[in-house]
Amino acid sequence: MSGTISLESVSKRFPGGVLAVDDLSLEVEPGEFLVLVGPSGCGKTTALRMVAGLEPVTSGQIRINDRVVTRLPPRHRDIAMVFQNYALYAHMPVRGNMGFGLKMAGVPKGEIRRRVDEAAAMLGLTELLDRKPRQLSGGQRQRVAMGRAIVREPSAFLMDEPLSNLDAKLRVEMRGEIIRVQRRIAAPTLYVTHDQTEAMTMGDRVAILRDGVLQQLGTPDEIYDHPVNVFVAGFIGSPSMNLITATLEGSAATFGGSRLDLPRRAGLAAYDGRQIVLGIRPEDFDTAGAGALELTTNRVESLGSELVAYLDCGQPGVEITARLERRAGVEEGRPVRLAVDLDRLYFFDPESGAAIA
Amino acid sequence: MTSIGWRIVKLVAILAIVVWSVGPILIGISTSVSTQREVNAVPTRWVPEEPTLNAYHDLLGGTSSQRAGGTVTEKGTFTRSISNSAFLSVVSTAIILVVSTMAAYAFGRLRFRFGGALLAILVGTMIVPIFVVVISLFKILADHQLIDSRRGLIMVFVATLSPLATWLLYTQVREMPAEPEEAALIDGCARWQAFVRIVIPQMSSGIAAVAAIIVLSVWGEFLIPLLLTSTMNAKPVTVQITEYVGKYTTNYPILAAAGVLALIPPALLALVLNRRITGMLAGSS
Amino acid sequence: MRLPWNTGDGDRTARETLILGWILVIPAMLAVAALILYPMVHGFQQSIRSGGFLFGEQPGYVGLRNYRDVIHDPASRDAMRHTLEYVVLAVTLEMVLGILVAVTLHRVFRGRGLVLAVLILPWALPSVVSGVLWRRVFDPDNGLLNSLLMQLHVISHPHVWLASGRGAIVYITLVHVWGVLPLVSLIFLAGLQSIPEEVYSASSVDGAGPLRQFRYVTLPLLRPSMAIALTVGTLLAISIFDEIFVLNGTALNTRSILIQVYNTTFAQADFAHGTALAFLLAAVTAVFGALYALVLRRATV
Repeated sequence: MSGTISLESVSKRFPGGVLAVDDLSLEVEPGEFLVLVGPSGCGKTTALRMVAGLEPVTSGQIRINDRVVTRLPPRHRDIAMVFQNYALYAHMPVRGNMGFGLKMAGVPKGEIRRRVDEAAAMLGLTELLDRKPRQLSGGQRQRVAMGRAIVREPSAFLMDEPLSNLDAKLRVEMRGEIIRVQRRIAAPTLYVTHDQTEAMTMGDRVAILRDGVLQQLGTPDEIYDHPVNVFVAGFIGSPSMNLITATLEGSAATFGGSRLDLPRRAGLAAYDGRQIVLGIRPEDFDTAGAGALELTTNRVESLGSELVAYLDCGQPGVEITARLERRAGVEEGRPVRLAVDLDRLYFFDPESGAAIA
Repeated sequence: MTSIGWRIVKLVAILAIVVWSVGPILIGISTSVSTQREVNAVPTRWVPEEPTLNAYHDLLGGTSSQRAGGTVTEKGTFTRSISNSAFLSVVSTAIILVVSTMAAYAFGRLRFRFGGALLAILVGTMIVPIFVVVISLFKILADHQLIDSRRGLIMVFVATLSPLATWLLYTQVREMPAEPEEAALIDGCARWQAFVRIVIPQMSSGIAAVAAIIVLSVWGEFLIPLLLTSTMNAKPVTVQITEYVGKYTTNYPILAAAGVLALIPPALLALVLNRRITGMLAGSS
Repeated sequence: MRLPWNTGDGDRTARETLILGWILVIPAMLAVAALILYPMVHGFQQSIRSGGFLFGEQPGYVGLRNYRDVIHDPASRDAMRHTLEYVVLAVTLEMVLGILVAVTLHRVFRGRGLVLAVLILPWALPSVVSGVLWRRVFDPDNGLLNSLLMQLHVISHPHVWLASGRGAIVYITLVHVWGVLPLVSLIFLAGLQSIPEEVYSASSVDGAGPLRQFRYVTLPLLRPSMAIALTVGTLLAISIFDEIFVLNGTALNTRSILIQVYNTTFAQADFAHGTALAFLLAAVTAVFGALYALVLRRATV
């Protein structure tokens, strides 16, 4: 039950000419939970479906457990998949849904019963085994969908945004459930979502996709601390990172009416006198400390435990977001001086978007 | 106009709809239990004074021309025509459902070359009035000894009604989510297994509705059997009933009795499966 | 190696799909090809020949002469004129009444299920049977209509409804509409139910009463349904046959095109002309079908 999923230079071009996936390569290690994340239309679902065999591959190779499966129909790939809309078999009870795959594989009835009971127990579905899908709630259906996948004991798990149709609270609950189950089963899992929170909290590693192209592949920490380009920096983290176009003058960056003295960075030297994109995460502001900026408060949202302030920095069209403590003493319409954690600044090339070392 | 005013208008409209829909049927029933004398009286009576089942006896048991005022019936003929209609309806519908469900699934789910063109051709034949076909059809069927036979009629019905059934089921299939089928593919089914085990059950309510519509269509077929049958071998009730319309005078009670008996099966079907049928008709427009 | 979407080379899934697709479609296509398309071609051949082939005669081809004969033949022209009348009258009635019925039954009320069940009865019955039921109404000697009118002293002696020119067409149309109205009503009902509630709420706020709402909100949004109803109604009316046959046989004053075809082909044993007329009707129907399809595409915004 351990093994790998690997995509080697996989591309998908649809009949209309759209290039949905462009030369994607990645490998899911044994037992790993790899999240494929990106905005709508970035090709993540298409990539997943190609691994499942539901979408023909235009070019490239897919391997599961080192076996080339690129041209094989889904049933020969030894995979299991959980769909966004659960895709349960409406005319069968839960037990039938969960046992269907095993039945098709010719597994003897007694064994099917045993495995279904076991999976149901793991997921808390035992009382529901004789109910039909329409009698279940969203969360319950989701668990049945997972149960159906688990009993097969497949070489690889695929999940296509399974939590998107659940309400917020249920989503948080199910997140933990999915991880717990995955750890027990220990099969490599490829998980697709558009929600960066899910990606960051659930993934062993995260792959970020944009317009079919892989932006960055790494652990959540790597991605958060060392985003490889502007897109990744802005996509991960909520509220999003502030991205300001500034001019580098010597060792300081100027924008709007502000001037920020920067720490030494080797890569910055080449940009002296030119524009760079400066990135500051909202949580890296503080009311006291070095590296101060003079800003005017536009708006403040109180989240109870903290504040989110929206500030004007003097540059037209740019609004700074900052997460501050409750007692930050920020008032709407008033100027305020905020400090920036200088060790946590990010720099990007204004044209390519790539991070500047 | 006040709100009460509108309510009254609506009530009147609803009553009008009900009377309009059911009225002629009630008239038919009333006529069928009247005597010929009452019917022929001028002015005629709407409701008979002494309802009688004579007309039904005559219809089913046979009568001589003198007594029946122009309409001749033979024992067992009408019964045979009803049984023909029933047989034709059920068998044709069964075959049509099998053929059309397969085609609808293929057109709606599997994308394959020329699929669009074939569907267009299939649906296009619905517009063709049957007459351009029926004469040559006559010759073709005659050559194969299929004239005046139940089998021949069934084949023709399958050819003429499968396009409609396919179209109705096709619109169903397109609106059905494809994920359960995909899940089945992943769970180990080949395409055809997924079709039989998962998609067909998914389509079941649509299939039931289409079945009802097709049964009603076959039961109501007139022109094709009119031209392709002559003896009681295969003659359905729709053709048989026109033989009770006399050239000069007509025995209305017998005719009405025939009409009533002929409408009971479709009426029952329509009442029982009403929701499914209206759902399908409204949905596919 | 780049692969196209759904051809066979090497991609097992695509190949499976292609084979399965064809297998599933062949029964339907075969039935249609054998019993509709092939006879149609054969029939067309007959329409450009002269004489009746059932008698074993095979005289030569006469090109479009039969079509020209048919267009100039007075009986055929009458049939065409009548059919036009049937279509115009039937479709107008169906549209007006259909919308009214749909509006009446749109909102849920107690007993609505029952009314809907009753509504489709006329459509469920064979049209021949409808003709039989209505026949008593129109019988010249002692039909119900005559009796009623005489009792109400509207007329003094029985009218021969089905034999007089205009009247007969109207009454046959009535019977036809009786059977088609349920279908058209359902089409409009579906259309009404696809209009979101908010549009009415918004117009209410803007000060529109029920009549105004109907005229400026409902009717325009029903245009797609109207197109569908128009198409279906026209197609059904243009091929009207059963009701006429059972109510008035092949009497000249009520002949529709199909009755005329029936008469020519069977009563006069003139298959060539009969088929020619039938093809003419088919061509006109196809044109209408295409026209309405275009209109429908434009109407669905």
